[in-house]
Amino acid sequence: MRIEGSRQLAAPRETVFQRLMDPQSLADALPGCEKLELQPDGSYHTTLKVGIGSIKGIYQGRIEIVDPVPPESFRMKVEGKGAGGFLKGEGRVSLAAQNAETLISYSGEAQIGGMMASVGQRMMRVAAQQIAHQFFEAFARHLALTLPSTSLPEPDDSRRRNSS
Amino acid sequence: MIPESFEYHAPQSLAEAVGLAAQLGEDAKLMAGGHSLLPMMKLRLASPRHLIDLRRLSDLRYIREADGVIEIGALTTHFQIESSELLQKNCPLLPETAREIGDVQVRNLGTLGGSLAHADPAADWPPAILALDAEIKAVSPQGERWITGRDFFVELMTTALRPGEILTMIRVPILPPRAGDAYLKLRQPASGFAVVGAAVRLALNESGHVESAAIGVTGVGPKAYRATATERELAGKSLTGRRLAEAAAHAADGMEANSDLFASAEYRRHLAAVYVRRALQCALERAGA
Amino acid sequence: MSPKLLGERIKRKEDPRLIQGRSHYVDDIQLCEMVYLSFVRSPYAHAKIKSIQAEAARKMPGVLAIYAGKGLEGRLGLIPCAAGLEGLKVPDHPCLALGRVRYVGEPVAVVVANGRYQAADAAAKVEVDYDPLPAVTDMDKAVAGSPLVHEQFGDNIAFVAKLEGGDWKAVEAEPSVKVIKQRLINQRLAPLSMETRGVVASYSPGEDTLTVWSSTQIPHLLKTQLAVMTGVDEARVRVIAPEVGGAFGSKLNVYAEEGVACFVSRQLGKPVKWIETRRENLLATIHGRDQIDDLEIYFQPDGKVVGLKCHILADLGAYHQLLTPAIPTLTALMILGCYNIPAVWVETTGVFTNKMSTDAYRGAGRPEATYVIERVMDMVARELNLDPVDVRLKNFPPPGKDVVLATGVSYDTANYQKTLKKVLTLSGYKKLRGEQARLRKKGKYLGIGLSTYVEICAMGPSSRMPAGGWESGTVRVEPTGKVTVLSGTSPHGQGEETSFAQIVAEELGVPYDDVTVYHGDTNQVPMGIGTFGSRTTAVGGTAIYHAARRIKKKMARLASHKLGAKPGEIVFRDGKVESQDGSKSMKFGDVVGEAYFAKQLPPGVEPGLVENYVFEPPNYTYPFGAHVAVVEVDSETGEVSLRNYFAVDDCGRILNPMLVDGQIHGGLAQGIGQALWEEHVYDENGQLLTGTLMDCAAPRAHQFCWFETANTETRTPVNPLGVKGVGEAGTIGSTPAMVNAVLDALQPFGVRHMDMPLKPEKIWRIVTRGASETA
Repeated sequence: MRIEGSRQLAAPRETVFQRLMDPQSLADALPGCEKLELQPDGSYHTTLKVGIGSIKGIYQGRIEIVDPVPPESFRMKVEGKGAGGFLKGEGRVSLAAQNAETLISYSGEAQIGGMMASVGQRMMRVAAQQIAHQFFEAFARHLALTLPSTSLPEPDDSRRRNSS
Repeated sequence: MIPESFEYHAPQSLAEAVGLAAQLGEDAKLMAGGHSLLPMMKLRLASPRHLIDLRRLSDLRYIREADGVIEIGALTTHFQIESSELLQKNCPLLPETAREIGDVQVRNLGTLGGSLAHADPAADWPPAILALDAEIKAVSPQGERWITGRDFFVELMTTALRPGEILTMIRVPILPPRAGDAYLKLRQPASGFAVVGAAVRLALNESGHVESAAIGVTGVGPKAYRATATERELAGKSLTGRRLAEAAAHAADGMEANSDLFASAEYRRHLAAVYVRRALQCALERAGA
Repeated sequence: MSPKLLGERIKRKEDPRLIQGRSHYVDDIQLCEMVYLSFVRSPYAHAKIKSIQAEAARKMPGVLAIYAGKGLEGRLGLIPCAAGLEGLKVPDHPCLALGRVRYVGEPVAVVVANGRYQAADAAAKVEVDYDPLPAVTDMDKAVAGSPLVHEQFGDNIAFVAKLEGGDWKAVEAEPSVKVIKQRLINQRLAPLSMETRGVVASYSPGEDTLTVWSSTQIPHLLKTQLAVMTGVDEARVRVIAPEVGGAFGSKLNVYAEEGVACFVSRQLGKPVKWIETRRENLLATIHGRDQIDDLEIYFQPDGKVVGLKCHILADLGAYHQLLTPAIPTLTALMILGCYNIPAVWVETTGVFTNKMSTDAYRGAGRPEATYVIERVMDMVARELNLDPVDVRLKNFPPPGKDVVLATGVSYDTANYQKTLKKVLTLSGYKKLRGEQARLRKKGKYLGIGLSTYVEICAMGPSSRMPAGGWESGTVRVEPTGKVTVLSGTSPHGQGEETSFAQIVAEELGVPYDDVTVYHGDTNQVPMGIGTFGSRTTAVGGTAIYHAARRIKKKMARLASHKLGAKPGEIVFRDGKVESQDGSKSMKFGDVVGEAYFAKQLPPGVEPGLVENYVFEPPNYTYPFGAHVAVVEVDSETGEVSLRNYFAVDDCGRILNPMLVDGQIHGGLAQGIGQALWEEHVYDENGQLLTGTLMDCAAPRAHQFCWFETANTETRTPVNPLGVKGVGEAGTIGSTPAMVNAVLDALQPFGVRHMDMPLKPEKIWRIVTRGASETA
């Protein structure tokens, strides 16, 4: 399953990149993040409560950032499992400077298995997009709250432009 | 098909239910007909610690006329709506929509309020609620508030209801003179849900031009929406087949369409245009044009 | 005279108890101290099992035991496969996975608990650590050989079988012969019986007996297999198939869960119950179809088909269930349908993939064959711009003549011209064609689809069956004159409690209500095979017919002895046993009294009135029929609506037209369902995407038009009743009729073929973009 989208962030590219590499910022921004621990190999172990509406589950996972090219791009590998099944994904995140702001674009492939795959196909794509969207919304809020000079960004409708 | 264990509450009054919902907050789920929630619990995709069963609140089951609007209690079943003479006369879009839901067994137990609160992206009720500019009443210990249909559906399976709030009533306007309604959908053969569905309320003025056109679309994206681009194209116009088709072609403008095993995003967008046009045509005929 | 019973619409004996919900299925069986199973299943299509941690689960309330594959090794036998094909690769198929999982849903461990909910809660706490491996789900990739489902075999090819006949040199040398090449995909389906599987196993340590209630089509075969698997002496194993809520072939099997339930009951000395959830049913009950047919059709300009080559790729799934590899061989056997095509070449390749096993699903190999040959007829007609009726007539063998087809198959009795003519009349075919032409001018697309099928059933001669094809029947007249019938078949919805009672009541001249039919209990019915392959009436009914004849023979002897008449002049009528002219007469009950009181038996006659007969069918039977489907295609959305359906079926002699109609109706629903809606879909990683009834379409009554059915009756010489079988005919005949109808509607858009299910989007794409992109 392909997941892609983009989001305008009211912060310079260097700042955005740096925050994305910072465990504390990530933990703050990840919706439902209950634990995010940096491992000796540079990956993160995480416990996330993820869900849409009344469908919620706790997932144990591993996130690894690979091939970082500051402040332009990195790749991300994600693995997780929980009662609803498992997820394995790999994607690329790229950051484009737009004056003092940043356009962050993401695209990746996710493989879903177990219960979620067999019962959720009709909503899986929109659900995945929504969760990705939630992350970047939360990240934008995190930036807004922690960067002194910017104000809370307006909610955007970047999702509308995403294609699947 | 066996849920995790949960605590079961069966309040006898709305006050008791509101108290429980407020007290238990996000740990609780409210259950009306149970046709969406229970399957998810049985698959263990939803595992609320507390289940508040609202089915004993029989005073939330009604369809009545009051001050020029129709009020429907949240626990009114699809079948009650389908078979209501009051609605057939005053708001025929609702019985027409109810008939399209699931099958007889589902319609006998499923409720309007439960379906709305669940906000399935392919459900049949949301486009009707949008097209009718219905209002939804939510009750909490802080009091009650009214939410417009447009504000109610937030995103995929997410509504404007706050944790602990209970949806109690849906209020819809009475069909004005020279107006017509229609709901048409392509049915998913497995689920019975809408692949795409279009609900229309069309009102004409005395000269036969469009006074207002309200179009709700379900199934296309993560939530039902108003086809505002199409509505704009129609406003004030006299309607010809060609004009309807041209306007309906904008039915999915700006929407990110879903794709699944049954229908691609491209096909869903196409269906939106076709079904909006057909529903408009049908509503137009019913409006007496 | 006694009322005539055979051939009448007698209401089903089964229905009052079923309709009122007063019957007993496996889940209704309650035993003292019963414990429950819940299976831990693989979420991966292919993975190594690194470890299984069950400590947390073991501490959960009510948990009695947890077993994994290693705990069963050497203590519970493997899941059997009865299909004997030359060179067949048979992988070990343990009841719980050993070291590796090969499909999503494969059982890995089992939790035993005091309560069903406790078992499910604990199963969710069993932690299995997997090392995922690449999976193969696409047959072409599987044939190419990587990744391997079973490493030890070196490839994914379970078997290759060839069937060739006729003079291919002559076909290929003929310059006027044209050739069409086409790939047809027959998608994977879920059998979806209303009642899921379920088993109760109860081992009594004192008596050393194992009693098993299972939702099965084959209690006797299951008894033998469970005895072998568990090591319990077969004489101490009893299998009971209580009420079975549908099966469609999916319960013609021996499943892991049945073996495990017996094993656990024996370990714990307690009765054990397992009831399959719908999710498990979609994942881990056998699937049907899943075949790719690559065709080369050789035909002459007049529509005569002179040769057919077909390379069949059959997706077997990861393991063999009871008959998995045998199913596609039936496709090869029946690939010529009812047409006298002089040359045939079929190569069948059975392929392992990381999916649930395929096996018998209503029709089992024959729907695939019929789909191929009926599409062939329509493709030839389209290519030559001929009416599909004419192409069929051109290729039918002459009526009433024995023809040995190029496949070596010779059908029993048939008159294909007659059923075709009847369905053309019934449907008003000519008028429909006129209507079609008129509507097309208005931009409306009516489609008329034809299928003239023949199928193979009444399975079958023991020489051709994996585990015997006979059937046993017992008739016992009780001392009160009531009649008990025991059948080795195991009907589960077909209605043979009714038709068997009709046979016996009519033979013995006793009231229909006096006859009670029992089946499905191996301690009650001495021997049996089961219900599948449209065999129950043709084979099982014949056994009962013969047993009733034996009863009559004995009663005639008793009566003639008493009456001083010749046995040959005795007749049975109106509850009396009497001489032809009625001058010497006894009540039926008095003759029964003679047998049981045994005061004046003729010399050498044993007391009592019980007779058994085991019928060995000399051949299969070949029912046939002609169907016409009429559809309307919405060219704007691609939606298909079924307007009319006409079915003329010939299943030999009809014993009860209502039962025949019922079988045809249900069969049509499933066959049309395959054409339009149903598909069981795995993604490329082997995840099942249609794991709930929200996604896996089950056909429902409201989706259909009224079925116009009719029959012709061509009796078979294979059994004395003249019956052929009808359980699968509707499914076999209807799928190609529907697809032919839709493609007929789309004829102006120039598309030769579309694969099923004919979802609206596929049609919309063809209509909007033309055939070039879809051919």
